[in-house]
Amino acid sequence: MAKKVGFEKRSKASEEIPSSSLADIAFLLLIFFMVTTVFPSDRERPINWPEAAAAQKIDEKKKNILNVWLQKDGAVYINDQQYSLDEVSQVVAPLYAQSQRALVISIRGDRDTPYSLVDQMQKELVQAGVVRVVFATQLEQRMQRERR
Amino acid sequence: MAVLNKKKSKAGADVNMASTADIAFLLLIFFLVTTVFPKDKGLSIVLPEQSEEVAVSQKNILHLIIRADGIVDVKRGESQQIQQMRASEIEGLWRQEIAANPNLIAAVKTDPTAPYKYMVDVLDALQSANAERISLQILEN
Repeated sequence: MAKKVGFEKRSKASEEIPSSSLADIAFLLLIFFMVTTVFPSDRERPINWPEAAAAQKIDEKKKNILNVWLQKDGAVYINDQQYSLDEVSQVVAPLYAQSQRALVISIRGDRDTPYSLVDQMQKELVQAGVVRVVFATQLEQRMQRERR
Repeated sequence: MAVLNKKKSKAGADVNMASTADIAFLLLIFFLVTTVFPKDKGLSIVLPEQSEEVAVSQKNILHLIIRADGIVDVKRGESQQIQQMRASEIEGLWRQEIAANPNLIAAVKTDPTAPYKYMVDVLDALQSANAERISLQILEN
């Protein structure tokens, strides 16, 4: 400390921390996380969902759910790649083994798919050793149900 | 005179920036709290193991045969009597039947040409009625 002699010299630097840039930092963080967050999921296929009132949430972690899209014409999409129906067991089996048999297959079929294709899909999944399967649906409103 | 014109306004020329940070954090927290990721929904079933076949006595089976037009033929066990129903009526039927016979199994047989949605409708009705033992098959003829 300076001795108390003569005039006290004032520091020219401001005492306050400049807080105006804090907002910029917050926005920067916000934008950074918005841009870098990637949700690992496959692209949605354009299908007409079947509807069900008893549909329940799939009780499994997102990474343990494998979406298998089944289109009206029998085209199958797994992880954004197209396969034919009889390739499904070969594709699913290694993924199923990788997940230590915890994988849940979510069959996302078009509502107008002929049932023979859905049945074939089930047989392929049985062949791959899959046990837990979910027929993905959209929630049906009670109103619609009563009209049916 | 030049001296008189030099009067300065006492109010600060720039907007107060200190609260902008609060606004940014508020937005951040708001979106953190309100963002809900849609969870997948569906009718879950357990597929049988490969080559797992269980003999079931006919009297414990309720046959639900879904035709291509969505009408369901209901057949009880070995009786040949067929009752035609709509998918929405199955929920009530199952509740009656399961009360009479707790060991009942629903055997859903779908016509190969029937759209998938009719099978989902029947499965939905069964699961609405808390049916647990459901077998999905394809109709062979």
